[in-house]
Amino acid sequence: MTRKFIPWFTVFSLAVCWQAFGADVPVDGRHDLTDKMKESLVYLNVSSQGYSQFQPWKRTDIIDNFGFGCAVGPYEILTTAWNVANAVYIKARRHGQNEFIPATVKVIDYETNLCLLELDKDAAGSPLKPVKFNGKYDKGDELKSYWLSSGGHLTTGRGYLDRAEVNKSTVSFARVLNFVASNSANSVGRGEVFAVKGKPIGISYWADGDVQEAGLIPAETINRFLDDAGDGSYSGFGVAGFSARSLIDPAMRKYLNMPTKIKHGVYVSRVFSLGTGSDVLEEADVLLAIDGKTMNPYGRYEHRDYDRISFRYLINSRNVGDTIKFDVWRDGKQRSLKVKVKNFKASEMLVPYYEFGTQPEYIVTAGFVIQKLTHSYFTIWGDGWPGKVPPHLYNYFQNTAFSPSADRKEIVILSHVLPAPINLGYQGLGRMVVDTFNGMKITCMRDILEAKKLKPDSKFDVIEFEHDYPTVVIPRVQASQADAILARNYGIEKLVNIK
Amino acid sequence: MGNIKGVCVVLVVGLLGLCSMAPAEDYFDFGTKATFDKSVVMIRSVHQAFDYTTPWKQGDMAQGVGSGFIISGNRILTNAHNISNNKYIEVKKQNLAQRWPATISFVGHDCDLAIITVADPGFFEGTTPLSFGGIPKANTTVQTVGFPVGGRQVSVTEGVVSRIQMDSYSHTRADSHLVIQTDAAINPGNSGGPVLQDGKVVGVAFQGLTSAENIGYMIPTTVIGHFLEDIKDGRYNGFGSLGFSFYAGLHNRSYAEYLKMPAGQEGIVVTSTMMNSSVENIFESGDVITGIDGYDIDNDGMINIHGLTLHMSEAIEQKQIGEKVKITYYRQGQEKEAVAEVALNKPVLAYWREFDQQPRYLVYAGLTFVPVSRNFLETWGQSWITDLPFYLRYLFVNSRQLNENRKRTEYVVLGEILPDKVNSYASSAENKIVKSVNGVEILCLEDLTEAFSNCPGDFCTINFMGTPTPLIIDNSMAVQRHTAILKQYEVPAEANLETQL
Repeated sequence: MTRKFIPWFTVFSLAVCWQAFGADVPVDGRHDLTDKMKESLVYLNVSSQGYSQFQPWKRTDIIDNFGFGCAVGPYEILTTAWNVANAVYIKARRHGQNEFIPATVKVIDYETNLCLLELDKDAAGSPLKPVKFNGKYDKGDELKSYWLSSGGHLTTGRGYLDRAEVNKSTVSFARVLNFVASNSANSVGRGEVFAVKGKPIGISYWADGDVQEAGLIPAETINRFLDDAGDGSYSGFGVAGFSARSLIDPAMRKYLNMPTKIKHGVYVSRVFSLGTGSDVLEEADVLLAIDGKTMNPYGRYEHRDYDRISFRYLINSRNVGDTIKFDVWRDGKQRSLKVKVKNFKASEMLVPYYEFGTQPEYIVTAGFVIQKLTHSYFTIWGDGWPGKVPPHLYNYFQNTAFSPSADRKEIVILSHVLPAPINLGYQGLGRMVVDTFNGMKITCMRDILEAKKLKPDSKFDVIEFEHDYPTVVIPRVQASQADAILARNYGIEKLVNIK
Repeated sequence: MGNIKGVCVVLVVGLLGLCSMAPAEDYFDFGTKATFDKSVVMIRSVHQAFDYTTPWKQGDMAQGVGSGFIISGNRILTNAHNISNNKYIEVKKQNLAQRWPATISFVGHDCDLAIITVADPGFFEGTTPLSFGGIPKANTTVQTVGFPVGGRQVSVTEGVVSRIQMDSYSHTRADSHLVIQTDAAINPGNSGGPVLQDGKVVGVAFQGLTSAENIGYMIPTTVIGHFLEDIKDGRYNGFGSLGFSFYAGLHNRSYAEYLKMPAGQEGIVVTSTMMNSSVENIFESGDVITGIDGYDIDNDGMINIHGLTLHMSEAIEQKQIGEKVKITYYRQGQEKEAVAEVALNKPVLAYWREFDQQPRYLVYAGLTFVPVSRNFLETWGQSWITDLPFYLRYLFVNSRQLNENRKRTEYVVLGEILPDKVNSYASSAENKIVKSVNGVEILCLEDLTEAFSNCPGDFCTINFMGTPTPLIIDNSMAVQRHTAILKQYEVPAEANLETQL
């Protein structure tokens, strides 16, 4: 007993001594990157301008915003996608330089919320010093943050590495890995570089002043993004094609014929038509493991560095095209499924989650404004829009946004009517889902253009809608004349915008 | 006074509120004083509504003051909202200390009218029943009589008839009938009092507009007459409808031409018929209705009736449930005629407020199931329509379009969960609408009773609308815990399935 006790005691004593030694060392002095960062950080001034959702032929007001970036190549700057969403002009300022440097978007990925900018080499002058993101996650470590302020000062902040989470991006539907910095009082979440032990570990993308926390896009995400972007064709990260919910109810597990010895697994509640697993999973499957990593009933597994973390990390930490293995419980049996890692663009969704930098699709005919339903369109209703939008429209977003089909690729709506003599009697209509146009079932905006060619002998274009709405009848000959007047009256440069 | 404040809150929520008329002083001489002195009474009542999330419980008690007046047959006519959800009613004459307990004979919540009576025949001694006139003309003078904010004496105010139109009745938040707008002061407490012209009742004061000055409303004698005729058989059936939706869109000549309407012919376009309605087998979408009971319908859906231009539904309002109306309509250019029955056409989701009866419910495994009703939805508070869980809002707005089963009479929602080990994991199903139990579609609360009492095997599988994940209840544990849950939460009975007539 005594001989066994001594070695353990020795190890414990050394550990105590090492911690005490470390605590006496001025960590800030050892790991301060202020001078090194002067050649790497830029202040970004971004002029952004979107499109009106209600009058999609119009641009919204120009908004000037700011963000922070850091060099990842001689003339390449990393920042968040959110900083440059809808950007029309981007200019950067280096430390010690008064003149702005024009910048353009090279690669942007809203799912990871990262963007690679390219600086105008002539204006930039000497190359910048690239930052290497090689910091390692170690819960509780002290963080230092660095950014170049609007006044050209290299500014620093502090915080602690509190936890790793898989959270929904602020701009996208995707749920991706992020680190949360606590006590980060002066972070604004606009791309400040955070470093641990003198090694950059991520850039900030959100900040909550009330709880003094900031979210970081971690080094591993940044490095994968840069690798992917470097080959000239960006393919992106994997995205789950299903939703899951906890499976902690013993009655539910028994109902699914799961043996009591199986305590793990998360319930697959919905399977989409897009994303990883959408082609192999079935609703009511129980996802037991991905690549041998066992899920707990909440859909989390034990990660070596990050503690318990969502199964989604096992999907979005893989590249598109990789093959992974799902172990599922289905119909009372355990099965292994080979799954191709996939992702998708927002534009592929039935109701796109975002539309940055692109003009919304629309058709104006005889004053009837026909548009594609998007998540952005709902913002017309202002704050609290989920409780205000017509529920039939919201239902398409809430329950089917990730499940387009051949019969329904987009939701096409009559947004509103621009009053004119030709549409007398119809002027109060709007927010109605188009069902058919000239008898043709409408699956997407482009179908409208095809449908307008149908029934060439008819005097009218005829639009039918879902639910109890009147038929819209448009006289074709008069419409072409009216369209020119409408375009002039309402300042519509082009009556059709279909990609 | 406490109740008056409560009424005012209701008015703010619904825009339209309760009102009535002013005190009779000696210097008023409308030639009617002698009559209303002996006809108008104060009504005091105690209200207590049910809690729609835990329907075996009652809500807070409140008291209110309103007005009423004596009509033929020793009856007192007043507003339904004066005596709804009542526990006790008493009436009082002006300047007399004596109170008489009263009882409800008939109540029509959809038209906000009620008949109450006093058992003591001595009450009616020396009173004079008021008689009814017609619809007063616009810009003529009327007097509103009643007990605004209580008081001991009858109050009288005078104003003019501003306009006459179809409008909302705020009591149920869902009904619409003819109303007469006046600028005579109408305040809480006036409700149920008569509005007089030339000594005859031309309306019952019932609501006001809180967002404007001096806009009050009375129920005209056409509506009162319908109510009094309805109750002659000893039962109130209510106002009926035909059960179709229409669009007043024929202003568009292309639409009219597409529908093959003769040039110059006006009318309204049928967009849908209500499932199981009296016109479901008569009209088709795209039919154009041009006349009803001999009244021509214009492109705005208006008819000339009572010497006024009013919404076409006024023609239907003249009929009792079960009576017929003659409809003229066009289908693909062919003129047709049909006879349609006026019916209650009750929708599958009660979008009006309900009163007076304990809500129906069923408790199983600590899960409280109730029919989806406006009363249940309003438990989300003042901003309920925006704060509701999504699918409940979807159903409230689109229940007609979403229901595909002709046999459905209501939707059933899992409301309050009475926490117990049998339902520890059920919280995610709270406020979800039941689609099926063990694969059997649930079309009314009674279906649920049947399904739970016949659960085969170990589980009850409850599926909900708008979500693919079922709720699984261990059936043997549910049976085992049943009595203990009812006892723990002091639920007097596992169900109340009594249907409101």
